[in-house]
Amino acid sequence: MELVLPKTLDYAATLRYLGAADWQPDENTESLLRMAEQELRGACTPRGTWREFPESPAWLQNAGEDIARHLAGCDGVVLMAVTLGSAVDALLRRLCMKDIALGAVADAAASVLMEAVCDEMEEQIRREQDQKKRFMTGRYSPGYGDCPLALQDDLCLSLDTVRGIGLCVTKEHLMAPRKSVTAILGTADHPVTGARAGCAHCVLRETCAYRKRGITCETA
Amino acid sequence: MKLPELFERKRFILLDGAMGTQLTQRGLRTGQKPELAAFLMPDILEAIHRDYAAAGADILFANTFGANPKKLDGTGYTVEQVVSASIDCARRAADTTGALVALDIGPLGELLAPAGTLEFEDACAQFADMVRAGVHAGADLIVLETMTDLYELKAAILAAKENSDLPVLVSMSFESRGRTFTGCTVESFAATAAGLGVDGIGINCSLGPVEILPFAKRLCRCVPAGMPVFVKPNAGLPNPDGSYDITPEEFARDMLEYLPTGVSMVGGCCGSTPEFIRGLRDTFAGKTPAQKIPVKKSVLCTPVRCVEVNGITVVGERINPTGKKRLQQALREGDSAYPCSQAVSQAEAGAQVLDVNAGLPGIDETAVLTHLVKELQSVTDLPLQLDSSNPKALASALRIYNGKPIVNSVNGEQTVLDAILPLCKKYGAAVVGLTLDENGIPKTADERVAIARRIVCAAEAAGIPKEDIYIDCLTLTASAQQEGAMQTLEALSRCKRELGVRTVLGVSNISFGMPCRGYLNSAFLTMAMQAGLDLAIINPNTPEMMGAVRAFRVLTSQDEKSADYIEAYAGVQVETTQSIKTQAAAQPQAADGQMSLFDAVRRGLKVEAKAAARQALAVTEPLTLVNETLIPALDAVGDGFEKGTIFLPQLLQSASAAQAAFDLVKEAIASSGTQGESRGRIVLATVKGDVHDIGKNIVRVILENYGYDVLDLGRDVPPETVVQAVRDTGAPLVGLSALMTTTVASMQETIEALHEAGLNCKVMVGGAVLTPEYARQIGADFYAKDAKASADYAKQIFS
Repeated sequence: MELVLPKTLDYAATLRYLGAADWQPDENTESLLRMAEQELRGACTPRGTWREFPESPAWLQNAGEDIARHLAGCDGVVLMAVTLGSAVDALLRRLCMKDIALGAVADAAASVLMEAVCDEMEEQIRREQDQKKRFMTGRYSPGYGDCPLALQDDLCLSLDTVRGIGLCVTKEHLMAPRKSVTAILGTADHPVTGARAGCAHCVLRETCAYRKRGITCETA
Repeated sequence: MKLPELFERKRFILLDGAMGTQLTQRGLRTGQKPELAAFLMPDILEAIHRDYAAAGADILFANTFGANPKKLDGTGYTVEQVVSASIDCARRAADTTGALVALDIGPLGELLAPAGTLEFEDACAQFADMVRAGVHAGADLIVLETMTDLYELKAAILAAKENSDLPVLVSMSFESRGRTFTGCTVESFAATAAGLGVDGIGINCSLGPVEILPFAKRLCRCVPAGMPVFVKPNAGLPNPDGSYDITPEEFARDMLEYLPTGVSMVGGCCGSTPEFIRGLRDTFAGKTPAQKIPVKKSVLCTPVRCVEVNGITVVGERINPTGKKRLQQALREGDSAYPCSQAVSQAEAGAQVLDVNAGLPGIDETAVLTHLVKELQSVTDLPLQLDSSNPKALASALRIYNGKPIVNSVNGEQTVLDAILPLCKKYGAAVVGLTLDENGIPKTADERVAIARRIVCAAEAAGIPKEDIYIDCLTLTASAQQEGAMQTLEALSRCKRELGVRTVLGVSNISFGMPCRGYLNSAFLTMAMQAGLDLAIINPNTPEMMGAVRAFRVLTSQDEKSADYIEAYAGVQVETTQSIKTQAAAQPQAADGQMSLFDAVRRGLKVEAKAAARQALAVTEPLTLVNETLIPALDAVGDGFEKGTIFLPQLLQSASAAQAAFDLVKEAIASSGTQGESRGRIVLATVKGDVHDIGKNIVRVILENYGYDVLDLGRDVPPETVVQAVRDTGAPLVGLSALMTTTVASMQETIEALHEAGLNCKVMVGGAVLTPEYARQIGADFYAKDAKASADYAKQIFS
């Protein structure tokens, strides 16, 4: 289905992705942000698809401790996939050639838009669950914690993302178009929150700038 | 039915309906692969085919949609086995009514590079496996369907045509915005597929009959006369749960709207059933497809941009090494970043097509042109003019070109026509014909028109339609052959009038050897446009040339309400000053109020940095400027970044400003003819399997700013390419980037390959998931936490 970009790009989040959290951007940077946003709005074709499974698919059974913890107490699973479309990839390649600063800002801004579009999709699913008096965890993506990226293959196959939204997985389990997200959400008949991976299994544990400052990426 | 009926268009040909949804309805379980139905549930599969045949389908699509090597991997079945069993199954059903059986081929499920990592030839090879199996199993025709990526479709068409003599029907799936997921337009699809010589073109899946109708109408207008058009819509739009709810009656009613469009084959896709096909049979019985009246247009395209050459069209000339030292150097060194940046800047200046020439003595033109085309089509959506007279280079570049290009050029020599026209025909390219032959360039217009006539005859005989022929009456240099200009223009008008072809001129040659070339160029361009020039090969970055083009479009009412002209020039002030060259050189100092280069870089101001660098270069040696101004400015910014007083966006803006200055420095060095003293060579790559290259791109710009010669190999680079580059350049430092855990493995492979090759280079690595510890483990010499750290390490290596 077609999704809608948020009305405004979250500049603060974009700067945070660029490693400049809490920085009050100067005039030039603000103008870069505006330009990046304008270019992205012309290129994004956000699409999403999701499906609910009454029980966890077989390929999800041995996918690590973190996802098991996330789905603890759940008796159903929702899979979702969202993409900003392939024109964004082409745009980012072009902008990097034109001006590396604009390219980098646009790359971060695309990730922020991606996140917002995921929120929109999750909101839709949550509303449907609400109506059914069902509860749902947050999103958990392959690659978080000890959950292997290879899960991407089965996840996308289950959703038929190639036909549905034009989202493919490469041999190395990376998604193409690049600005795409897949996620696993647990559903239950009682309130569940799920458990994000946290820092324990995070591959960025050693080098994470947030951890060095005593915070996490979730609280930043 | 018999195959020729497909093309006679005397009655509507009925195609079948959905397979996937039918299999699910009749018992295929979640987790079972539909591709294997011929083994899992042969009776049910045959029953579905029989039901479609009984409902009236003239062509049954065998259940081979996903029978490709990638999807069958791990199933225990080969492509040959699955295709053969599936076709046999369809054949048994077809024999009950005399229907034809099609080998059905869908997408591979992976995006081709540059969007993904699948190489074009790998895709071709996978499709070729299916085609050969289909031919062997006795398919009557081949259908390539539900394609969303034009590049993948091209690979499939080539595979089909190179491995069989069967008719090939192709169809793509469009979203409601009239583009496929990858942005391909209906017109680009038609131009490319028809050019590649398919036998029928259609639209299927994604949408219902109502939504597809306008796209089918557009398709009928741009598919050549005589080529059938077909549609296979879904049973309306799907419900959120994936089900469909229009009835066979509603479907048939909606399909009636296709009667007057020129469509001659109809069927159904997802959600349709044998009842739908029965409905179509009843609806279309006894009816004749309408005449399809295509509009003959001259088009060039990439998937997302279809350029109709109708009125003056600008071809950017900058990616041609003749007389351009900087580009020569880039091509020799395998640096595609520079030509790519030229592509982007020409596109922004208003180019609609880009000329690409890689002809340089001593280089492998085939390899360089092919690589260049791949790189260019990853950063620009403008169609390319492949500029070469080397048939081997052209064949290779035409093959991997994504869309419909134009070849520049053939001429009146029979051997040239014989070598190149068949390539243009095979790959569906338009062609430029130069009005010269073995006797050189004739002086008079008469003689040039005569050569043009010969070229047009030869091209048409080779199967290239007139609208794809562009004649170049050749611009002679006014300083040498002054009266030649009018002969060229006369020949041009006559070619248009008498031969009915398009025309092209390389305009800038008119002024060669003359001062103030811009005056002659723009005057000649204006005269040529008035004479009927279609393609102007010019430098779009020259304001007066684009000014002439835009003004001409206003005065000939092509630019409605002068909208483009106003958009381009509102707020622009033209300053024409003529300064005497010797005086300009004597006034080097920055004017009052002008920012110094140091400040401009430090503050990240691109325009100011460029202006300041231009001023400074008039009096300062390029390398002095780099050492005494650019690098100290970058160091100041870098220090601030390390201390946390300057943030990444600012650092990058400074880098961008320095890059603008550096472009001028490099031009100055290249045009001085001296081999600029290199600070050191560095090879950069994002490793095999990884397409995330923003980090690597940032590192490249920063290292270039520090004066290093960086050879950027791009993304998804195999270890052997890195090894070869290090061997060729002798670079003492290699930088590798990988974003994901899955691709760090190929980073390790690359490092091992470098070590095994015995190359004495240091390797620095970077990327989100790397740590100093991890970097050591995979054998890297240095972990660069950011671009600044990589520049610091380079300084250490090259000190």
